[in-house]
Amino acid sequence: MTHPLRGKAAVTGIGETAYSRGTTKSGLALQMEASLAAIADAGLKPADIDGIVPYFPGGGIAEDFIANLGLPDLKLSAFVPMGGASLVAALQMATIAVSGGVCRHVLISVGRTGYSGARVSTRLQQFPQFALAAEFEAPVGVFAPAQLYAPGARRHMALYGTTPRHFAEIAVTIRRHAILNGNAVMTKELTVEEHHASRMIADPFRLFDCSLESDGGAALVVSATDAARDLRQPVVQILGMAEGHPDSPASIAQRADLLEFGLVRAAPRAYAMAGVGPADMDLAQIYDCFTFTVINQLENLGFCKPGEAGPFVMEGRIGLGGALPLNTHGGLLSQGHVVGLNHAIELVRQLRGQAGRAQVAGAEVGLVTGYGDMGDGALAIMARAA
Amino acid sequence: MSAPAFERPKPTPSRESQPYWDGLKERRLLIQHCTNCGMPRHYPRPVCPHCHSMESEFREVARGGAVHSWTVTDHPFNGFFKKAGPEIVALIDLDAGGPSGATLRVNAPLRGIAREAMAVGLRVRLVFEPVEEGLVLPAFEPE
Repeated sequence: MTHPLRGKAAVTGIGETAYSRGTTKSGLALQMEASLAAIADAGLKPADIDGIVPYFPGGGIAEDFIANLGLPDLKLSAFVPMGGASLVAALQMATIAVSGGVCRHVLISVGRTGYSGARVSTRLQQFPQFALAAEFEAPVGVFAPAQLYAPGARRHMALYGTTPRHFAEIAVTIRRHAILNGNAVMTKELTVEEHHASRMIADPFRLFDCSLESDGGAALVVSATDAARDLRQPVVQILGMAEGHPDSPASIAQRADLLEFGLVRAAPRAYAMAGVGPADMDLAQIYDCFTFTVINQLENLGFCKPGEAGPFVMEGRIGLGGALPLNTHGGLLSQGHVVGLNHAIELVRQLRGQAGRAQVAGAEVGLVTGYGDMGDGALAIMARAA
Repeated sequence: MSAPAFERPKPTPSRESQPYWDGLKERRLLIQHCTNCGMPRHYPRPVCPHCHSMESEFREVARGGAVHSWTVTDHPFNGFFKKAGPEIVALIDLDAGGPSGATLRVNAPLRGIAREAMAVGLRVRLVFEPVEEGLVLPAFEPE
């Protein structure tokens, strides 16, 4: 039986600010700039937006959107507090809203001054989900995401022989993609040797295994598919989507299997809803807060078996022209860190055929993941409408 | 790069976790156990996820364990830890979890070993480190 949400929503508008390290604009200004761009891209007016699912905590809330965009009748204000998985999980929330008749056009957006404002180690203290880590792990010196995720990487290396060379392949390939994008923080080629020589941050993560702290905003509009057909852009439908939560969701330390994220639960549901599987993907945009996180997700998503994603990413497979081009925009590692909304935007751009020099020829179906909050996961599978 | 913090982040015990912290001060490793089904759980919380009983007690457990995984705090992220320099911080599977199948881990510095010698399964023992007035934290040493 066809899932009631399958294909009921489409991404109709996308918008981004310039990604930078250093800005005089506020996070809220960046969020509004991206939101206006996404609304215009769809061919809509701000008054058409009747639902919002912004990133939280940090950034604008319903009151800010009504005050800045003059929204006449907002019908849904929701948050999906899942850290880096929030904005892909928001696609599910938006789809429920537009297919259930509550809204027609839902805005998902984020704006942050991750470089010029509060940095990562300070910002996370706002998250109620980090209370256990704050009580039991911060006192011994472990509180930044790099430190919380590093033991998973070490364990993968010990169990499966995964190496820094595999990590480097991801960093180098995604950097190459960023250079093609034209709106990326990192614009210089990265070599494997430079990756290996970069300073250690949280063993085994070196500097170039870690995503950027950057400034920027991103937004997209999710519309009911019947409304999307009258709008400005080629229709990109959301065929399947799901969120998933791991065991011991607020403490990686207490999770029996450090390598099993919420995506293990979410992926089969999203594939079943979409009616496609990993082998059908023309490309994938994988949340790359760390190089290793991509390896782990590829396994959790079923692109390969547990332990095999290190060799899987080698020999050009994840580059443009390979079997599974990944993060064709440069990702969080090299384009900018807007909590992965840039990944969803890039998937839409690819499926519209608007990805410029990074265009994957004949891209018809792809997936995007969000990962965060110590293991929460979300994915969405999108396709160009016939 | 670092946040302007030069003090160690302090634990703020909850009503559930207070006995664990008090135990460390007395040089005892106390772990919460369900008094209905007997399962241990860590970190402390009000409800047993196995039988949903809200009755629990803290029992002293053995301090032996094995390395599950680890990291090294090469970049301190906080001014206080910059002074201490890089430390190995390991996730240790306590032996006390073994018989019940429960995951009982302590995340703490591992002293007296070089990072090159680290390995999954390495045997360790918990020790108590008084780090400042009124605060004792766990640490580990090779067995």
